[in-house]
Amino acid sequence: MITEFIAHFHPVLVHLPIGILLLAIVFHWLSTKEKYAQLRFAIPTAYLFGAVTAAMSCITGYLLAGSGEYDETTLNLHQWMGILVAFSSATGYLFSRTKNINQLKWVSVLLLILLTVTGHLGGTLTHGEGYLWKSFPGAKNDSAIALKPIANAQEAIVYKDIIQPLLQQKCYNCHATTKQKGGLRLDSETWILKGGKNGAVMHAGSADSSEIYKRVQLDPLEEKHMPPKGKPQLTEQERLLLHWWIASGADFAKKSKDMQQPAAIKTALSSLEKAEVVVTKRLDMPEGEAPKASEATIASLRKNAITISEISQSSHWLNANFVNCTKWNADIEKQLASLKDQMIWLKIPGAQLETTAWKTIAGLTNLRRLSAEHSNISDQDLLQIASLKNLQYLNLVDTKITANGLMQLKGNNSLTNIFIGRTNISRQDYISLKTAFPKAILDSGGYRLEFIATDTQTLHPKK
Amino acid sequence: MSKENNRIIQEANKQFLEQVTRRHFFQECVTGLGAMALGSVLGGCNWLGSKDGSNSMLNTNPLMAHAPHFAGKAKSVIYIHMAGAPSQLELFDYKPELAKLDGQDCPQSLLEGKKFAFIRGVPKMMGPFATFKQRGQCGAWISDHLPHLATVADELSFLKAVQTDQFNHGPAQLLMHTGTPRLGRPSIGSWVTYGLGSENNNLPGFVVLTSGGKNPDAGKSVWGNGFLPSVYQGVQCRSEGDPVLFIKDPEGMSRDLRKASIDAINEANRATYEDFKDPEIVSRIAQYEMAYRMQIEVPEVMNINNEPAYIHEMYGTKPGEACFANNVLLARKLVEKGVRFVQLFDWGWDSHGTEENLAIDYGFVNKCRATDKPVTALLLDLKQRGLLDETLIVWGGEFGRTPMAENRDGKKNPFKGRDHHTEAFTIWMAGGGIKKGYSFGETDEIGYSAISGKVTSFDIQATILNQLGFDHEKLVYPFQGRSFRLTDVHGRVINEIVA
Repeated sequence: MITEFIAHFHPVLVHLPIGILLLAIVFHWLSTKEKYAQLRFAIPTAYLFGAVTAAMSCITGYLLAGSGEYDETTLNLHQWMGILVAFSSATGYLFSRTKNINQLKWVSVLLLILLTVTGHLGGTLTHGEGYLWKSFPGAKNDSAIALKPIANAQEAIVYKDIIQPLLQQKCYNCHATTKQKGGLRLDSETWILKGGKNGAVMHAGSADSSEIYKRVQLDPLEEKHMPPKGKPQLTEQERLLLHWWIASGADFAKKSKDMQQPAAIKTALSSLEKAEVVVTKRLDMPEGEAPKASEATIASLRKNAITISEISQSSHWLNANFVNCTKWNADIEKQLASLKDQMIWLKIPGAQLETTAWKTIAGLTNLRRLSAEHSNISDQDLLQIASLKNLQYLNLVDTKITANGLMQLKGNNSLTNIFIGRTNISRQDYISLKTAFPKAILDSGGYRLEFIATDTQTLHPKK
Repeated sequence: MSKENNRIIQEANKQFLEQVTRRHFFQECVTGLGAMALGSVLGGCNWLGSKDGSNSMLNTNPLMAHAPHFAGKAKSVIYIHMAGAPSQLELFDYKPELAKLDGQDCPQSLLEGKKFAFIRGVPKMMGPFATFKQRGQCGAWISDHLPHLATVADELSFLKAVQTDQFNHGPAQLLMHTGTPRLGRPSIGSWVTYGLGSENNNLPGFVVLTSGGKNPDAGKSVWGNGFLPSVYQGVQCRSEGDPVLFIKDPEGMSRDLRKASIDAINEANRATYEDFKDPEIVSRIAQYEMAYRMQIEVPEVMNINNEPAYIHEMYGTKPGEACFANNVLLARKLVEKGVRFVQLFDWGWDSHGTEENLAIDYGFVNKCRATDKPVTALLLDLKQRGLLDETLIVWGGEFGRTPMAENRDGKKNPFKGRDHHTEAFTIWMAGGGIKKGYSFGETDEIGYSAISGKVTSFDIQATILNQLGFDHEKLVYPFQGRSFRLTDVHGRVINEIVA
């Protein structure tokens, strides 16, 4: 339709009166100064253009409002304020022509207020309630509300406790009170059943033919996919639950336990009982932040072919790999010791170190991961390392350590992964070690693959 | 600067000046002066994010270890690409319904509006040529073709509904590795080394090993650096003979003399860099230096003969041959030494059924037998070395294979075979902070199309980068006026399989 086409120019046109009228106001105020007095000749023209473009904006705005996708109260206010802008700017034009400067002052103040408010209302219509402060520091972010855990998912009312929060989080932005894109509202039973301007969106009992499900299931690159690209998407689990709810009749009152539950739904429901965003704490990273390490120390270690870097761009914790530096001099020891506040992951594969160097390592009290495979670490050195109370990962593969040596770390409860393949620890020791480190996975290695005859045979058709 | 080096620089300058003629000057006047003016304007913009003036690029090693965006769980990646595309229907995607349809005409609904590489007319459906069992605690379906991998099912995360939009090998491989089916973009290994640098300055950060016989259809572009500095390109190592060609000193050249000549060349290059600021010169300097260091380190790492007998037995290696098993063992050795990205390419998986080697019932079975043990050994070996949790393993092809038997040119193929299929195939990942014993995505009853948990090559790339600590939307490189990234405008981290 031609009107619809014209209507879409509203968002472009509205910026003209804003700019032109602001310019008129600025000219008006400046022209009171002697230096800019000649600007007053431009004022009537500016007001005239402002009035004309404001009127054009009103007309296109009226046509756009007809699409019925917007919140009525806000729209009404925006509409009348807009018309007021057009009228005030016309008045401004007349006053400026009649050189009625004193009254023109009041018109300009009124216009400034009107422009600000109308513009803000327009913004609210397009970008949604509270768009302005959304990214303001300290503002609450609506879109970040995660689905709250449900105490008992079986006792929950499917629509009220599961589906509605989902819709609220992912759909209400465009399909509720402020905006009704496509004439669709999803914020109550009546609205959902009513559907949008293209008809029903849900066929109870048949999810696959329901538009609401079809849209979320579409390829995200397709234009009709919902929620639109760039907006928070439904998770696989949410999609599954939505499908289940519609397919089993889209009942607004039933509880989960009264509806048939395929295995996948059972798991999805029970996972709702846990908090949605489970930030698994990483055991191999300390909480908090480290002071920045000295760049000179890092540079000088790098000169010795040591790889060293911060574990991430937003952190000062360090990790280092000594794969090309297996023998240390006193300097290296000293420099490494000075990084004790930062060093958390250390790899020293194949290191051939003096006792003093192992002492240095034992002083790195923040260490979470130590890879000392193929190194000359001895049981005595291991005793030193027992002081590393935060150590979580310890790799001793292919070293000379014994079970007694490792026992010295008993009571070090943070250890969760210990690798002891190809050491002097025998199978018999394994059981006592297992009880000494109940929380840890002890990997003694020695994995073998079964010999299967077909591994070395090839298959050919019988001639 | 020594006297001799001075002479080399003077010579280079003289040669350069000889090439500049009067005609040159006038030709370059228009663009040259404009560019100079633009350069002085842009010069103030802190172009490369350097803090300390213009020489910062020269003084830093482009392969120096960098911090990722956030602390990643994986430190390195071994990407096992089975070029040709193995059949998911014979390995992981168990479809008993398809067996019932074996030999029947394919329904029109599956053919309408679809394009296939070779299928013409109405093909017959083809049941799985495999016996499936559920394996491990997780109950993943793995066929008898992979008896070893079946024992480690609880270490793997399957993606059962991978999709692509390319049904020819070359473009599909490029899409998988560079994020576009066309040539010219950097490969994922290049992006990773660009972002993370190398853990071991004596080795390249990105190594490529092919099983011998054939390179992937897409050629070397699948490990190319695209528009990234060439120092980040994949270094192809050979598993027999010299691992890297032309790296040995020529006869009569001592290591000291080699060092002196490289120093002199690099000094000349540095001087040239001062004049032109071309980042490729920095790459060249770094490459000379790395090649020199690699002379010692590479032959040692690439030599599998020093490995104990039980390791050889475990992997099923064949020392002295260019074969997949040897490459897998090498991959483990390289990762152990701090190489970031090891790309393995195997070939011969294109089971069309046109000949014995490319038949589901023969060649395919033999490919499974030759690769099953090494792949499983890799997982277990990394595990017993305490490296599996920081090494991400990805296994997969460039697309899948059709539930229909191929009928090339409308005629029945001499052997059992399947055509290229883009709508659903299986890729698995393991280690590197990926869930153990998990499966994501589903296909329909006959394995034709994906019905849930669809993922694309971009999602896989985003997930690999995520495991290494990168936000795939932020790992960018400015080129031709815009910031490029591996996943372009696509990609979603498959959080469902992230532990």
